[in-house]
Amino acid sequence: MYPLQKRPVIQIAFSVSLLAGATFPVGSKASVFDDERFFETKVRPLLVAKCYECHSEEISEAGLRLDNHQSVLKGSDVGIIVTPGDIDASKIITVIKSRGDIAMPPNEKLTAEEIKILEEWVKRGVPWGGAGSEKDLLSNGSNSISERIASAEKSHWSFQPILRYEPPTFPEELPTRLRQNWSRNRIDRFLAVKMLEQGIQPAEEASPYAIIRRLSYNLTGLPPAVNDVEAFVANPTETAYRAYAERLLDSAEHAEHWARHWLDLARYADTIGYAFGGQSNKSPFAWTYRDWVVQAFHDDLPYNRFVTLQVAADLITPEVSKKDLAALGFLTVGRTFRGNIHDIIDDRIDLVTRGLMGLSVACARCHDHKYEPVGIDDYYALHGIFASTETPEELPVIGEPPQNQEAKAFAEKMAELEQNLVDHEQAIYDRALREAVAHAADYLTEVARPSEKKDGRLPQMQDGYEIRPLILGRLERLLRAKNPSHPILGPWVQLSKVPDDTFAADAGGVLDQCISSIPNLNMCVKQELISTKPHSLKDLAAAYGRLIARVADSGNEEAISRKESKDLHSIWLIFGKIGTPFVVLEKEWKSVSKRSERDEHSRRKRKILAHQADALGGPPRAMVLVDKAKPTESFVFLRGVPGRRGEKIDRRVPQILGGKLVDKQTSGRRDLADMIVNPENPLTARVFVNWVWTHHFGHGLIPTPGDLGLRGEPPSHPELLDDLARRFIDEGKWSARWLHREIVFSQAWRQSSIAQPEVLVRDPENTYYSRSRRRRLSWESWRDSLLVAAGTLQLSPRGGPGMDPLDPSNGARRTLYSWVDRQDVPGILRAFDIANPDTAVHVRPATLVPQQGLVMLNSPLVIDAAKKVAERLLDEYNTQARIEQLWKIVFARNPRRDEVQRVQDWIERAKGSPSGDFGVWPQLAQALMATAEFQYVD
Amino acid sequence: MNSNHLFREFSRRELLKRSGLGVGWMAASTVLQESLHANPSTLNHHNPHTLAARRPHFPARAKAVIHIFANGGPSHIDTFDPKPKLEEYAGREIPGSLKTERRTGAALPSPFQFQQHGESGLPVSELFPSVARHADRLLVVRSMHADVPNHEPSLLLMNCGDGRLVRPSAGSWVTYGLGTENQNLPGFVAMCPGGYPISGPANWRSAFLPGVFQGTYIDTKKKNVDELVECIRHPVLDEKLQREQFELMAALDRKHLQQRKNDAALESRIASMELAWRMQFEAGEAFDVAKEPNHILERYGDTPHGRQLLIARRLVERGVRYVQVWHGKDQPWDSHQEIEKNHRKLAGEADKPIGALLDDLVGLGLLDSTLVLWGGEFGRTPTVELPNDAGTKTATGRDHNHHGFTVWMAGGGVQGGMAYGATDEFGFQAVEDPVHVHDLQATMLHLLGIDHKKLTYRHSGRDFRLTDVHGRVIHDWLA
Repeated sequence: MYPLQKRPVIQIAFSVSLLAGATFPVGSKASVFDDERFFETKVRPLLVAKCYECHSEEISEAGLRLDNHQSVLKGSDVGIIVTPGDIDASKIITVIKSRGDIAMPPNEKLTAEEIKILEEWVKRGVPWGGAGSEKDLLSNGSNSISERIASAEKSHWSFQPILRYEPPTFPEELPTRLRQNWSRNRIDRFLAVKMLEQGIQPAEEASPYAIIRRLSYNLTGLPPAVNDVEAFVANPTETAYRAYAERLLDSAEHAEHWARHWLDLARYADTIGYAFGGQSNKSPFAWTYRDWVVQAFHDDLPYNRFVTLQVAADLITPEVSKKDLAALGFLTVGRTFRGNIHDIIDDRIDLVTRGLMGLSVACARCHDHKYEPVGIDDYYALHGIFASTETPEELPVIGEPPQNQEAKAFAEKMAELEQNLVDHEQAIYDRALREAVAHAADYLTEVARPSEKKDGRLPQMQDGYEIRPLILGRLERLLRAKNPSHPILGPWVQLSKVPDDTFAADAGGVLDQCISSIPNLNMCVKQELISTKPHSLKDLAAAYGRLIARVADSGNEEAISRKESKDLHSIWLIFGKIGTPFVVLEKEWKSVSKRSERDEHSRRKRKILAHQADALGGPPRAMVLVDKAKPTESFVFLRGVPGRRGEKIDRRVPQILGGKLVDKQTSGRRDLADMIVNPENPLTARVFVNWVWTHHFGHGLIPTPGDLGLRGEPPSHPELLDDLARRFIDEGKWSARWLHREIVFSQAWRQSSIAQPEVLVRDPENTYYSRSRRRRLSWESWRDSLLVAAGTLQLSPRGGPGMDPLDPSNGARRTLYSWVDRQDVPGILRAFDIANPDTAVHVRPATLVPQQGLVMLNSPLVIDAAKKVAERLLDEYNTQARIEQLWKIVFARNPRRDEVQRVQDWIERAKGSPSGDFGVWPQLAQALMATAEFQYVD
Repeated sequence: MNSNHLFREFSRRELLKRSGLGVGWMAASTVLQESLHANPSTLNHHNPHTLAARRPHFPARAKAVIHIFANGGPSHIDTFDPKPKLEEYAGREIPGSLKTERRTGAALPSPFQFQQHGESGLPVSELFPSVARHADRLLVVRSMHADVPNHEPSLLLMNCGDGRLVRPSAGSWVTYGLGTENQNLPGFVAMCPGGYPISGPANWRSAFLPGVFQGTYIDTKKKNVDELVECIRHPVLDEKLQREQFELMAALDRKHLQQRKNDAALESRIASMELAWRMQFEAGEAFDVAKEPNHILERYGDTPHGRQLLIARRLVERGVRYVQVWHGKDQPWDSHQEIEKNHRKLAGEADKPIGALLDDLVGLGLLDSTLVLWGGEFGRTPTVELPNDAGTKTATGRDHNHHGFTVWMAGGGVQGGMAYGATDEFGFQAVEDPVHVHDLQATMLHLLGIDHKKLTYRHSGRDFRLTDVHGRVIHDWLA
């Protein structure tokens, strides 16, 4: 157990000799980073001093340059000069040791120590870093894309495998106390040894009060409860600390807080951006994605699964639960760019590549990336994956509607709207059937004597009726199939062949022949034709039309049977039954509808969608996307212009990440997801681990958390980052909670934020983690803290549609549950640096502007909270007790004596000033909540 | 509003130093995800994420911008670009009619009279008599062109340099580059009476730039200062009581700071609260035009347009960097029909206060350092817009025209009494010295002392700028 009380500062003299052993730790595998450091500190100075005079850019004797890695490996005009790893085979070593014909440098022999350095260099494989490295050449943007990919693969840190590193050992002389404190876990040793190297004295452990407040805010975004603080301050043991941390990690509040961090990355908002002509721009079910993220953090869903679901939940076998479909909101909650599909895809590509992997692919939309190992082919290979998906018209229901009054109203209205739609479809069908039957003769005529088509359009009848291709086609097929002796259609087949000009004369004879020659001539047909005596095709068609009307009007089969007319039933079978030419299937209503009817149908359908979207009480739906029936072929768009197609591109993952082709049958999102969370993907775990780290420490091991590319900044502690990332996968099994424990149980994280002046000089930016970084509360934590103080924060029910966070009358839910319009983010939220909801944000910017102060001084939010805090003091009757209570409510601690005194004096002076409902106590509460102490975490 | 006694424990000099430029802030601001690439050696960016004033790349001609946005698309042919040739073709089709949003027909001559003004003889139509008084100060650019004939993309192009994607507005870029002169006021203010223009706050958004550079929206239909500026006053406490309260808070903060060895981030925070305190009074005062003498108020007129231009003047006087003044909600200048009646009404609202603004800027000696820019997102067709099928429209208006239109500038180091470029003889298309919106933006930045190619921000793996990969500075405009 390590008590968390203050300890005397341990003063150590940091001598160079003490640190010597720590520079290149023995017994641990030398890393790429060690090598680069070795090169930079030992080899380069030597090359510069002894070799550059003849072997660099200006003069390259014998064609040899020693000022960049490629040239060193290439060798001189004569041949190679180094064989990495092999001293004996490397000419460079021979010549510096030699005093023969070729001895280098020509004038003075290198010292034994210098020779040793170069030998070590060769032994290590001729490592290089910084200026003159492949990366350096790359970032000048000179190479071709394939060279750049090959070279980045070989030499850029973030594309190297994530390896486990043994933390360096402490120097022998280190005082036991420090050694013990900084051996809580591996993180500590990595950080401490590096600090010692730099002669930096780490900060003391923070006070139990500071620690518990920090822990509570970091893990849950909320202040600690005052009784938890009191219990811990009374008994600040390691066991108590860990138990408290575990309790926080298990809480729903923890999940909510980290979900908000993730939503920044997912560029979450509740609208699609701009909508034309005053239409609603709501993204009505975005919240189901937000709630899914909360649940996922609560369940500690392994990060690999977490990502897979968000990219491809619909493509997983065995099928995921309906609820998990909400994960796809990750891709779909973005801006819709007024419907421009290519901008939507671009947004998704950026999200998946830069957001999850710190790789800037979206820049290659118009041409190969200028600096990064990403080509335009890579972009369009991903473009094809997303272009092969679409949003279904109706989003799937993923849960029960809420059990409330609204739900009943919702269901009733829904039923009404659906009935309206069905009624409309029925009305269309009935109308279409009636009119088609009434025009049966016209159809028959059209089959026998096709009219001339204008613009490929079928003729319009005099009453405005349009011949329907569906009906006409079926009728044609039916008539074509029947022979001249068919009991019903035989006479039609024979008579319709009689030419029009001789019809009047010849038809009678043909009809007689039909009657005599067709064996089972249908009696109804016979009667109809005899009574009609057709003199023209028109008469004939009219006769058949009447027959059709009889059966099509006669309703169902039984009705025909009851008439006990076998012959009429036979006609019914070909003209009256559902699915026959005139009696189309009900689902075919659209093919026989008019434009105005279809428009009305869309209107009614939209009403349903709008009701689902806007009305309270409906069931939750997932903002899914689905694969198109057939994947879209992808082409490069030259200069990013969709109209300018370049070569065809197979859908695949970026070349730098293996370039594997994705499944041809589907969009390939599943393969994309698998690649992202592959344990050997060098980017994903580094980005995530660094992201969690950044939110705990205030700055990242990688200073540019969204950019691990050549233009990003390299990690400050590469071995630590890799060790943590590797163990996160192998030991932690992708558990975020494992990672939280590693971090908050470390000594490094528990340091005080108060730095000694000399440390500020040596580590001004806190690059070495020599103290804790004091941080301002986020907008969400700040507002939540106001509500906690006011005693009004409603922790449940959690989830559901969002609310306006600026309106105090709007209830007091956690700020996470805000409704935010990305098109109109309120100025106050922007002033408090909420993440720009249009792009994946790993860390919010931190600005300090007086507008924030104005909110604290004057906003209704704060004033309302101050009043409620004051109400909570009413139980206490004397001033001192009230002051103590006030401090506990606002700061979760007891006031110091000087604070009590000051406030008492203030109250004394303020007496007699008008109060109203904003008297002395609310004023006081507001003042306290406007302090730095309230707004900052030590 | 003198608050000297209140902050006696800090020297004012110290405070100002810390308000933005102090080293302390550096520590707090390193929690930044993106890095600034506006050449730090020339742009004096000690801390690019505050609004503290910063030196430009090179000596600036203009220190502030007032952009009067005639949203909806004012007709250049009826205002600043006379086309007598249209009389000849009245009622007939003109040769080479171009594609715009809707179908247009025959030539529609301007119903308004043009007259030459000033020594320069710059022609201005009867719609803008007050502006015309300043003819010799105007640089009328008649050869503007944009990309498409639709409002949304053209508004975004004019404001943010891109019609589709989410990009920061010019005002955000400028305040990001230069900060602002008065820390007690927002650095970038966008005023529009009665609601938002089309595309809403996207027109003054900061996008990926930090939120501090976003335009502060003011609905100038409101008159009361408390309603105009969010959180500007305590709803209950008067100044005296609030000061008592503030002093207690400040005392607690100082104690807190002491116990933390004068942490720089905390010091900056305390200074920032004091700025907020002062802002209450200064901002309140700046936006409160009621305190102006009557004769001034009368010159501007007691209308939303009068008030907001008067506010614009007061803001620029007080060191605000970028002020945008919109004509009104939605797209008022969009005269698809009855252009004579509509344009007369709109110009009637706008002309007098613009004239008064220019008078005041001249009188106060501010015009030299203030760039006034007037214009819309595009112009209108010289041909009449045809009635629609439904017959609900008459052939009395003009359609959108992005092929050629006019903006004018005054002050801020541009030449006066000059017409630059030209549209064809009908006013359909910019043909002589065409100026794209990117060029206008590049030149505007140039006037502010900014190299538009160097004012960049690293985001999503690349360096972005207002003019993307376009824009050229038009040196002919410079005085």
